[in-house]
Amino acid sequence: MSAAARAMAADSSAPDRAAAPVVPAVSVRDVAMVFSGQAAVADASFDLASGRFLTILGPSGSGKTTLLRMIAGFQRPTRGEIAINGRPVSAVPPHKRRVGMVFQKLALFPHMTAAENVAFPLKMRRFDAREIPARVARYLDLVHLGPYADRRIHELSGGQQQRVAIARALVFEPDLLLLDEPLAALDRKLREEMQLEFRRIQKELCITTINVTHDQREALVVSDEVIVMDRGRIQQMADPISAYREPANAFVASFIGVTNRIEGRLSDAQGDAVTLDTPFGPCAGRWGAPAGRSPRVGEAATGMLRAEQIRVAPSGEDRGGLDASVSAEIVDVIFEGERVVYEARLAGRPEATLRVFDHDPLGHAVQPVGATVRLGWNRRDLIVFPND
Amino acid sequence: MPLRPSRSAYPLSWRVLDALEAGARGVWPARFARGVPWLMLAPAILLVGLLAVSLFEIADASLRTLDTATFLPSEEHTLANYARAFSEPVVLAVGLRSLGGALLVTLATLILAFPYAYAMVRTPSAAWRKTLLIALFLPFFIGQVVRAYGWLILLGNQGLANEILGLAGLGPYRLLFNYWAVLFGLVQYMLPFAVLMLAPALSAIPEEVEAAAGSLGANWGRTLLHVVFPMAKPGFVGAGLVVLTLTLTDFAIPAILGGGGQDFIANAIYDQFFRTSDQGMGATLTVLLVLVGSTLVGLVFALFGAGTLSLRGRGP
Ligand SMILES: Nc1ncnc2c1ncn2[C@@H]1O[C@H](COP(=O)(O)OP(=O)(O)O)[C@@H](O)[C@H]1O
Ligand SMILES: [Mg+2]
Repeated sequence: MSAAARAMAADSSAPDRAAAPVVPAVSVRDVAMVFSGQAAVADASFDLASGRFLTILGPSGSGKTTLLRMIAGFQRPTRGEIAINGRPVSAVPPHKRRVGMVFQKLALFPHMTAAENVAFPLKMRRFDAREIPARVARYLDLVHLGPYADRRIHELSGGQQQRVAIARALVFEPDLLLLDEPLAALDRKLREEMQLEFRRIQKELCITTINVTHDQREALVVSDEVIVMDRGRIQQMADPISAYREPANAFVASFIGVTNRIEGRLSDAQGDAVTLDTPFGPCAGRWGAPAGRSPRVGEAATGMLRAEQIRVAPSGEDRGGLDASVSAEIVDVIFEGERVVYEARLAGRPEATLRVFDHDPLGHAVQPVGATVRLGWNRRDLIVFPND
Repeated sequence: MPLRPSRSAYPLSWRVLDALEAGARGVWPARFARGVPWLMLAPAILLVGLLAVSLFEIADASLRTLDTATFLPSEEHTLANYARAFSEPVVLAVGLRSLGGALLVTLATLILAFPYAYAMVRTPSAAWRKTLLIALFLPFFIGQVVRAYGWLILLGNQGLANEILGLAGLGPYRLLFNYWAVLFGLVQYMLPFAVLMLAPALSAIPEEVEAAAGSLGANWGRTLLHVVFPMAKPGFVGAGLVVLTLTLTDFAIPAILGGGGQDFIANAIYDQFFRTSDQGMGATLTVLLVLVGSTLVGLVFALFGAGTLSLRGRGP
């Protein structure tokens, strides 16, 4: 660390050194990236503690790759500052950062064998030549590729190529591992296997990792923390359970999970307990906007309700213990084995359609199309956001 | 809203092709369909056949000496021309000059073509890419002879180059009619060919691969050396082969910029056919040129593979 960087790191932590003596592994401050007038990333700020696994989740084009490329050093932020282990890195070129990256298209070297690919960063970073073969072997073993060391890249399967890319990014013991949707091209089974593999390796080496994906399931499965991005802005940073249960806004609520959107008007508000007047009638819900934006009776609002939080029961039979209960007609039934997916609609109101995931562990009942049913949920699960 | 059929669902180009197909069916009925591939190959077969026949004629002529009394080729076959070719120091000098020149020009052209092709492929600005591409094609419209004369004007004793040097109190230097002038002209002539052969090989290298090399610790110099050059090898081989064969057989540049004193093989062959009218000797030199050229190309194939000329996509 240079003297200047040390001074700067000391400076920024001076006021509350007693409270937070640990320098975050990655610190992103007010970072923006503007391409010909268009902001691909705007006002991005977050800290990531050492050894954590962060996933940046967002739809295609939301600026995930751009953010990652700035951390890796391929692009310089238009504004803001990025620090790795307390050291500002904006002026540091990629080859002088200690950051390993696995690319969307892997970017392996096709003219080299698997072992040569893994040895490449060691050679470039001037490791002791006598130490290189043993270290390459160790990292190829880590990704279970020992027997394939001398294969060329095109002689390996897609999953094996993934493993070479991971070993190559890790072998020089970087401070930080970046993953730019390297699993997107794999079939589902292999992808889920590799997700757990990333998780295992990350825990084994305890390396700070930032993973980028548009796959919400992957984000929930592998991460310690999740950042949800949309149109270049960070919408929420939270652990996976909070991101799922306590979405910060309607976008996060709809992007993670299968979520019904119910438009309506607030007819009552007591603290964060609100009542939303919907086409189904008044529904009990919970106010989800951040503190400082309190609900106003009469304002237009949107309720977000996850498909698996809705209970379905034949009409007339009442499921006790639920805060809200409405009546609807089944218009579509999809039997998926482990669950049944219903589309239920208020008769003659196509905008008032709810998707319901049901697995009836007791009755094994499947409601037929056309049946009138009662749908119920708890106040906690209908999260209401203001429309502005 | 009523569904309006989209115009692009059956584009004009398809209708044109339909008409062409209908026309073709009239001219060449379907039951002759098995003959179509042969028909399409016919021009190529004809060309190669003619070339083979004329090569045979030339080989035959090379085995007959010129009768200085009648100025007719001899009736009997003899290796006398070959014996003369190998014993005359001029032939050896011309041969070595062409060969050495071809190798030097190939090397220099590849070195100069790479940065041009790389800049053209990698520039983020479409305007720059177009400018570079147009600058590349302009010389093709001018032609080799006119360009060589252009160099005569620029590099002559009263030319622009010497005038500028004169302003600095230097010269005048004799810039033309020497070996280096010929090599210079050849490099300048070959550059666009080499760039055009290199560019596809470079654009086949994903930018991500170079970024990856950077994040793995390679600065740009080592990225070029360890990643870009090896991955662009097919392009270098293809471009090198084209430049090598074109240079080895070039006529106009050595004739004009060499001023008669820097003949390449093609100039010597021309002299034998059209000055001394010794067809036998001209044919002998031609056969030797074909042999040396094919050996060289064969050698490159054996050492480096056929590069982009193998037309096999991305092979090992
Ligand atoms: N080099 C670039 N030049 C111009 N626009 C870019 C460039 N890279 C990304 N963008 C734009 O920035 C936005 C975010 O892109 P990206 O970060 O690749 O999104 P994601 O990885 O989330 O799909 C997109 O609108 C994209 O078109
Ligand atoms: Mg991306």
